[in-house]
Order: sequence, then structure tokens, then C-alpha cells
Amino acid sequence: MKEPQKRFLKQFSRMPMACGSLVFILIISVIAILNSLGINLSPYSFDQTSSDILQSPTFAHPMGTDELGRDLLSRVFFGSQLSIGIGIFTAVMSFLIGTVYGAIAGYCRGKVDAILMRIVDVAYALPDLLVMILIGVMIGRGTLGILLALGLVSWRGTARLVRAQFLQLHQEEFIEAARALGQNHLDIICKHMLPNSLGPVIVAVTFTVPMAILSESTLSFIGLGLSPPACSWGTLASDGWRSLRTTPHLIFFPGIFIFMSVLSFNFLGDGLRDALDPRTKASSKQFF
Amino acid sequence: MLLRVVIKRLLAMIPLLLVIATLTFMVIRVVPGGPFDQERNLPPQILANLNAKYHLDKPVLEQYFLYLGRLCHADLGVSYKYVDRTVVDIIKDAFPVSIQLGGAGLLIAVLIGVPLGTIAALRRGTHIDHLAMFVSTMGLSLPLFVVGALLILVFAIWGKALPAALWESPLHAILPALTIAFKPMAYIARLTRASVLEILQKDWVRIARSKGLSESATIIKHVLRNALIPVVTLLGPVSAVMIAGSFVVEIIYAIPGMGRFFVTAVMNRDYDLIMGITLIFSVVLVITNTIVDVLYMILDPRISYE
Repeated sequence: MKEPQKRFLKQFSRMPMACGSLVFILIISVIAILNSLGINLSPYSFDQTSSDILQSPTFAHPMGTDELGRDLLSRVFFGSQLSIGIGIFTAVMSFLIGTVYGAIAGYCRGKVDAILMRIVDVAYALPDLLVMILIGVMIGRGTLGILLALGLVSWRGTARLVRAQFLQLHQEEFIEAARALGQNHLDIICKHMLPNSLGPVIVAVTFTVPMAILSESTLSFIGLGLSPPACSWGTLASDGWRSLRTTPHLIFFPGIFIFMSVLSFNFLGDGLRDALDPRTKASSKQFF
Repeated sequence: MLLRVVIKRLLAMIPLLLVIATLTFMVIRVVPGGPFDQERNLPPQILANLNAKYHLDKPVLEQYFLYLGRLCHADLGVSYKYVDRTVVDIIKDAFPVSIQLGGAGLLIAVLIGVPLGTIAALRRGTHIDHLAMFVSTMGLSLPLFVVGALLILVFAIWGKALPAALWESPLHAILPALTIAFKPMAYIARLTRASVLEILQKDWVRIARSKGLSESATIIKHVLRNALIPVVTLLGPVSAVMIAGSFVVEIIYAIPGMGRFFVTAVMNRDYDLIMGITLIFSVVLVITNTIVDVLYMILDPRISYE
């Protein structure tokens, strides 16, 4: 292993919160993947005639049952597919669109940059959630619509970041050298500039995952996101909202899972940033 | 100079609003379905008449220019769902409610967030610091409706101390304001903590202490005054967070504000109402951002926007 990677791992392993978060994320991801392969760790038989509806947590049902008698633990495990999936998908989309967009703006500079960044500014003028609602409605309220709405909104920050990195890299001597040696634009971008700006971008993309999980649950709650039969932590929690008075555990447990995973991704992003760049001390700027 | 900045900003608002109006208009017209879809058994002739009345049968581009023409006369159109009410009427009713909710929320966020962050910074590394940061992390990691549910559960259902819904008396405003304040409070506490920690390193703080100034005077006059300048800039993002929060909070507590009208308007394809509320939100955001810039210039004379 090369020296920088070693240093990175050493730095990262020193951070208990970040490592714990990584473990939690891995566990949830394994559950989600197993579920999507049809292996449910907490199987339940769905029986419409069952009288076990709206039960409080017991040994048989650690998180209780919902209004159709379904075991909430199984439902939460099942919902992890969509919640984590949406988070990861949004992060990937934000990475791809944002990097390409930011790279074009940052590499071309001048007029192209000015126009591209004005577009981002306009997109920033409204709250994310409002834009997501409008785009989500335009595409349609299915799972795909929500995925695209989140993805199409979340790339703006990445684009700004990549552009800023590129503008900075223009000043570096090795870029000038590459240009003087007659390398073509694509080579300079892909071989020199992108690898050197990747660190902060990866950190920013890590923070996109919790943002997406939270946005999805909020959209589902106000009735403009996923709707049954789709099942995510967001839809589970908003189902639980309806019976808050009698069975508060139905909103509590999915809420805990949203909270834990959002927290984990945030700590992971923090850890990655500190490990990638030893100069920045652990500051409280993690959510900006 | 201040005036020039303000005028420049407000003038820049016009093209921005035009772009937002155009984009929103196009987005909502692409949506499949129209405002009269949900009414069952409409005879085709009546549907055609309705569409003709509201010019919905014309090409999208013509509708767009008709809309812009009306916009110039401050006519935001009519709601297709709330019978006999224009968009301006609805906004006139809903806007003050949302402003009250947002104002109360902002007040709570500042009154809790600033002391929380300051104490956390002064007691860095202690349990108080950890607790304060844990609370603010919760504010950023919990979905707003779960926060609302917890507050309702504790204070309204179990405690029976506060009403859980509606918008009638100041008592009714407490839980919604606390809910909507939770996330901004977390932002403010975090930024205040970071900012105070930074200022505490400065030479002038050491000088103030070494000349025998009392600790409280040092903190208030020399640390906080400087540390709060960056916090002022949060007002911009915070008002955006508040608008997003109002969608959720106004639905949870059944408050007749802009956020709830927006969400129902989107569900009903109430074109003009969606447009109207989106534009009002944009105006509010541009104005708060201008206020932030002006405040920043007054507080920190080193900044100039020329």
C-alpha cells in the first residue's frame, strides 16, 4: 500500500465515531442488500385475519406491529432498501452531474463559467425542498420520480465545489507543465485535475446521502413523496404519524433508524474530511 | 453606499423573479393532469368551458405571456380549487400567519441557539459542550415531523399542557414555533460555537483579560460582539430552512399558512396558486438576503460590496 493511503487509514482508524458509523452503515447496507435478494432477516407471515394488529413491542415483535398486523422490525429492514438506496443513488447522481458540470465551468472559465454559475445561482434561490416538490411532481410521484427529483436538486453544491477546485488548480505548476507538454484538454482534466480535486468532492458527496434520506422522508410525510405500497423509513414514519396518539412506537422506531443513519453518514463524512486533510481540525462546520 | 447596495440588489431581483416564474410555469405545465381532473363526471362541454374560461385551452406559450401580462398588474390569478378566492386573497390571509410562525421560530432559534453555542465554546470539551452539540446534532439529523411528533407526544398528549393543533391563540403557537425553530437553532448553536472559539484565540481578548476586565464583560463586549457577525449571515440560509420547514410544520399542526397552501396547491394542480406562492417565497428570500448583506456591512465596516 502506498504511503498516503496508509496515512489515511491510520488517521481514520483513530476516530471512534467515524469507525462506529462506518460499521453501522455497513450493517444497514448488508440488511438492505440481503432484503433486495429476497432474504429477510426477520421474516413474518402476513395474515389478514391475524388479530396482532397495532401491538406494542413484545418479544415476538421487538418493534410492535402496524395496523395490518405486520411486524414493524421486518418492515424497517425492508424499508432500508429504499431509504439507503435513495441516499446512495442521490449521492452518485450528485457526484456525476456535479463533477461534469463543475469541471466544464472550472476548466473553461470566462463566459462559459459565468453563464453556468448564474444557472446554479438561480437554482439556489429557492429552498431545496420546494424545487424537489416541483420536479418530483413534474416527473411523477413514483419511486423513479422521487429519485430523479432528489438527484436533480442535489448536484449544485458539488458543481460549485468542483469548479472552485479547478479554478485553484489552474494556478498550479504541474497543470501548466502538462499544458506546455501539449497534452490535450481531456487528458489534463481526467488525469491531472480530477484526481487532485477528488478528496473534498467525496466528502461533500458523503454529506449528500443523509440529506437525501431526510428529504425523502419529509416528502413522503407531506404526501408528495413515496406512497404505499412503496416502503421506506420515511413512509413508515409518516404512517406512524397517523396513530401517534395510540401507538407512538410506530413513528418512533423508523424515526430512530432515520436518525441513526443520518448521524452515521454525517460522522463518516467528518471522519473522511479530517483523515483526507490533516490540516483541518475537527470543526463544527460539518453541516455546511 | 448602503442605499446603492440595497437598490442594486432589489433591481437584480426582477430578472431573477422572471427566470423563476418562467421555470416554475414550464415545470407545472409539463405535469400530466390539470386542475379539473379530480372532479368526477364533468361533461366534456363543461370541462371545455372551464378550460376556456381560464385560458387553459390555449397553447402553453400563449398562456405564459398572458400570465406575465397579468403579473405586471399584480394580478396573480385565481385559485381553481378555493372557490371565489383569488391568489392574492389567499396570500393575504396566509402570509401573516407564516410570518408570525417564522418570526416566533427565528426568535426561539436565536434565543436558544446563541447562548447554547456560547456556553459550549466557553466550556469546551466538558459534558455541557457535548450535551449542547448532541442536541444540535439531533436538530440536524431528525426529520422535522418526528421532532413535531415527539413534542406533541410529550407536551400535548402526555403532558396535556399545550394544544396540539390549530392556530388560535399565542398558546397554540408554542409547539409549532419550537418545532420550526429546532433546525435553525442547531445551525446557529454550531456556528456560534465555532465562531466564539475562533475569537477566543485573538490577541484583543487576551489583552482585555490581562488588563483585568471581568470575565463577563470580556465575553459580552469583546468576544460575542465579534463572534456574532458570522452568525448574522446565517439569516439567509435559515429563512430558506424555515420555508421548507413550514411545509411540514403547517401540515402537522393544521396551520393555515403559505406552506400548507403550497402543498395542497401542488396536489390539486392549482397552477396560479403554485406560481403565486413560489414567487412570494422568492421575494422573501431575496429581501432577507439583502437585509443580511446590509447588516453585515453595518456590523463589520471592513466589508464592502462595491
